[in-house]
Amino acid sequence: MLSLFWTFLKIGFLGFGGGYAMLSLLLEETVQFGMTLSEYADLNALNALLPGSVAINSATYVGHLYNGFLGALVTTLSVSIPSVFFTQLFMNYEQKISQNKYLYSMLSTVKIVAVGLIFSVAFSLTLSTIFNLSNLLDWRSFQFDGLSFLIMIAALYLHSKTDVSPLVLILGSGVVGWMLYYI
Amino acid sequence: MKTNLRLFKMYTLASALTFSGGMAMLPVIEKEACEKYNLIDKETLHDYTTLSQTFPGVIAVTNACLVGKKINGTSGMLAAAAGTIFPTYLLMSLATILYRLIPTEGAFLSALSAVRATSAAFLFAVAYTIAHFNLKSAFSIGFALFSFAVTLLNLISAPILILTALLIGFFIAYRRKEMNHA
Repeated sequence: MLSLFWTFLKIGFLGFGGGYAMLSLLLEETVQFGMTLSEYADLNALNALLPGSVAINSATYVGHLYNGFLGALVTTLSVSIPSVFFTQLFMNYEQKISQNKYLYSMLSTVKIVAVGLIFSVAFSLTLSTIFNLSNLLDWRSFQFDGLSFLIMIAALYLHSKTDVSPLVLILGSGVVGWMLYYI
Repeated sequence: MKTNLRLFKMYTLASALTFSGGMAMLPVIEKEACEKYNLIDKETLHDYTTLSQTFPGVIAVTNACLVGKKINGTSGMLAAAAGTIFPTYLLMSLATILYRLIPTEGAFLSALSAVRATSAAFLFAVAYTIAHFNLKSAFSIGFALFSFAVTLLNLISAPILILTALLIGFFIAYRRKEMNHA
């Protein structure tokens, strides 16, 4: 329980750029609890299906997985502590913070890393769902899932070119996957 | 107390109604806090929104904390934060329990794989959007590619990479200052 607390406190304080950027930290940090890539892929799916902040959703999910409602409460609260901390800090030193050039430069550099991290997470999930690989270096479990690949391409196309809601796309792909099993 | 209850309700509503990330909450908060109850002016709210994206942590919660604190001090901050967290915690708890009841075989597995593939596709879309707004120079594109490659290959951990980026940012600002003095 204590390690859940520390892990999510750390994720919160290092989580620059919001929930999606935190996903990469989460992927690395939850290995110690035994979280698998497919559990992680399910978290990503639930994030798209449910309302609310991605970071809170993720913290609740992982907490639940390892320690039920109480675990989820611990992770959710610990990932929120930085928000309280920085709010107090800002309200006390508003002038100094908003005019600090160092801070601005540091934050814009971190955003660059965040982009790389999110792409890396997306790629890891693709490896696991489409190619059944847990990392790039170990190809023994390789198995190409052509249907998932086609569904992914279709989803990417529909998501970027049309206004279809992500919710509809997720549920729709579930139905398509279900039907394809019987064909 | 009345204000705190209002803050709690407002953020509960916003949090329960918005999908795909905290920032989508803003229009709901703007309508409730600025237009309906006159608790805060739009300019401050927008400043706080930018600010909550700057600080590390959960964007939606930071935003709630800043707005709550401004409107009604520490108790307001806690009320707004609780309002943001509460519906998400509750819904996600239920969803996690239900999701784990789904059998992972046969047609269920096929449906799950499709859902996983679709949500991975969304992640690419998110990454692309953020890249589009933040990668403007050759250095930033190169550094983003570097971060992508080293985390994918497990060469450098994400926390180390983030701390390194903070340091690099610090030195960039330092050099700029030196050059201005020279």
